Amino acid sequence: MRSLLRRTGKEGSLANNGSGSSLFGFALSLPPLLLVLGFVGIPILIGFTFSLGFTKGPNRVIAIIGQQIHPKTHWWGTFAAYSDVFHDSRFVGDLVLTLAVTAISTVLVIVIALAIALHQRLVGGRTASVLATLSIVPLFVPVVISAWAIHTFYGGDGFMRSFFANIGINFPTLTSTSTAIVIGSVWTSLPFSILMISSGVQAVPDALIESAKDCGASTLKVISTVVVPLAQTPIIIAGSFTAIGIMGSFTIPLFLGPNQPTMLGVEISNFFGSYNRPQQSLVMAFIVFLAASGIAVLYIWSNVKSAKENGRI
Amino acid sequence: MTTKKAVAVSAAIALALGVSTSASHAAMAKVQTVQVYISADTNIQDLWVKTLVPAFKAANPGYDVNVTFDLHGDHDAQETAKLTAAATLGKDAGVDLIDGGFVTTLGAAGLLFKPTVGIVPNLIDVNKTVLKAGKGGIPYRGSSVLLAYNTKNVPTPPKTLDELLTWIKKNPGKFTYNAPSGGGSGYAFVQTVVDKYLSDADRKTLVSSAAPELETKWATGLETLRQLNKYTYGQNGTYPANNAETLKDLATGLVDMGTVWSDQFASAVKAGTMPSNIKVAQILNPTLTGGASYLGIPATSANRNKGARVLANWVLSPAAQNLIVSGTLNGFPVIPLAKLDPTATAAFTGVDIQNLRAGYLSANANDLKSKWASTVPGK
Repeated sequence: MRSLLRRTGKEGSLANNGSGSSLFGFALSLPPLLLVLGFVGIPILIGFTFSLGFTKGPNRVIAIIGQQIHPKTHWWGTFAAYSDVFHDSRFVGDLVLTLAVTAISTVLVIVIALAIALHQRLVGGRTASVLATLSIVPLFVPVVISAWAIHTFYGGDGFMRSFFANIGINFPTLTSTSTAIVIGSVWTSLPFSILMISSGVQAVPDALIESAKDCGASTLKVISTVVVPLAQTPIIIAGSFTAIGIMGSFTIPLFLGPNQPTMLGVEISNFFGSYNRPQQSLVMAFIVFLAASGIAVLYIWSNVKSAKENGRI
Repeated sequence: MTTKKAVAVSAAIALALGVSTSASHAAMAKVQTVQVYISADTNIQDLWVKTLVPAFKAANPGYDVNVTFDLHGDHDAQETAKLTAAATLGKDAGVDLIDGGFVTTLGAAGLLFKPTVGIVPNLIDVNKTVLKAGKGGIPYRGSSVLLAYNTKNVPTPPKTLDELLTWIKKNPGKFTYNAPSGGGSGYAFVQTVVDKYLSDADRKTLVSSAAPELETKWATGLETLRQLNKYTYGQNGTYPANNAETLKDLATGLVDMGTVWSDQFASAVKAGTMPSNIKVAQILNPTLTGGASYLGIPATSANRNKGARVLANWVLSPAAQNLIVSGTLNGFPVIPLAKLDPTATAAFTGVDIQNLRAGYLSANANDLKSKWASTVPGK
């Protein structure tokens, strides 16, 4: 498919009469594009207009049902709902917690995944395979189950506290803390990152590693100057996917986090459902959207960079 | 494709369609399907799917029931939107009977088929005040939030809210209630503490109509709740996420006291997940809230005068009410106890099931949940 598109694209650029085939290429990409525009783009646009106070048309019913709705006061709308959110005492705490949990968890996930991948690549052997296989297990455990399991494990009557109580140590109750959210987020995000990063690290040719070693490079030097730079693209992809996933997570912070401050995923759901404030929940959703877009830019940049290196564009 | 072929194909399709619609008409005449939409916890799902629906179908051949379940009412807003839109357009929303907290909201918006004794004869046995409060909803079971306590550590439970508040402060870390946005049992405790500082008139207004102007009067109650942070279970004012977690904390002995739903507690006892040393009691001044659950028949339902009405009427019959009382749910009945099986109703001694203190109207309740979240936990 890709080679076909490239060929038609090249023909189109080389010959003037090739506009038909470039149109054909464009037409081939249209169905998914239209699907995304129709089922994702339009609802986002409608949601955005609602956050600005456009309460007619497709937003009419939600505007009737919702509480604390601000209808637009200018032709372009109003920022009243945005002002509500920024003046809400809960919001700053929620935003800080969301960004902090995302940053810390992502760094932890990448470090652990990289460590496992490097161990597998450079040391290898039985332990490495067992470790790599075990680390994939969370992929097959539904998030709600693992969240509840972590909840009971670190809870007031959980394993950790019971175990340490036997040897006279008062282990802290970690549930309802931001630490528990980080533990849960790392647990659920790790498998994907390990798959992604270990495949990247495995792809580094033996010849490069060996020649670096022959030149007298230490293992640390081999990792920092050969393996990691060559696996940079999968690492960045794993990092951006992990960060976006954690930023929008719901189940883990709901079960494991404190009631307040909470992560924005939970707060958006609270505002939409429990407090019946759809406009304010949309405002928060757009803030998360903006933050996630920042990470997405990183992802696209890394993709473009690797495509350039491979001579695809 | 030639024009001739196209005509032939479309004729064939039309024929096939005609045949299939008449076939489905014939099927409908035999068995009428009632679409039931449930927005609740899993115990209510079990009540319908495992108890009421099989009994209804056995008693009423010719009717089938299809249950759609929405856990914890996560899609109440969307469902309300769908029903509102259907009512505006005068179309059938595909739902014939609703069991959920938003039924009274639909009733207040005039979206329900008004039940009368003429249409639903069994309503004659139902308390008129409770029926009126439904604004078009049909009360079919009751439940109340109660104070659960561990008899091993608390031989005599608090009798009033004041006594309870004193007990909580004397026994730090031994009481909990869940976040109001996560479940009604925690919400009931919050509303009860807030109500302590309100006049009877203000409480009545908040139950019956949206009253944002009264919400500033919640401040004293919310401050009382905030001061409880350091005495409740959980560090820095953290609370269980939902009803189930409070029950779990009681069952495992993490806490000695907590607020629970009467029906969920009774189900847990029956299922063996709640040890026998945990008991429930109601408190006074004010009592923890409770009330009827309502069924609603959307005004636009095509089955409103047929299957939906038959099912609603059957649910109010002594046979069905006995199932609600004695089945896995252990709900409160809405018809007089005299009409029910005495062995099933024996459990209600000590709990006044006829005078339940109502929760706020949903708009006020939403505001209270929001205010609690911004003033109490972690402060």
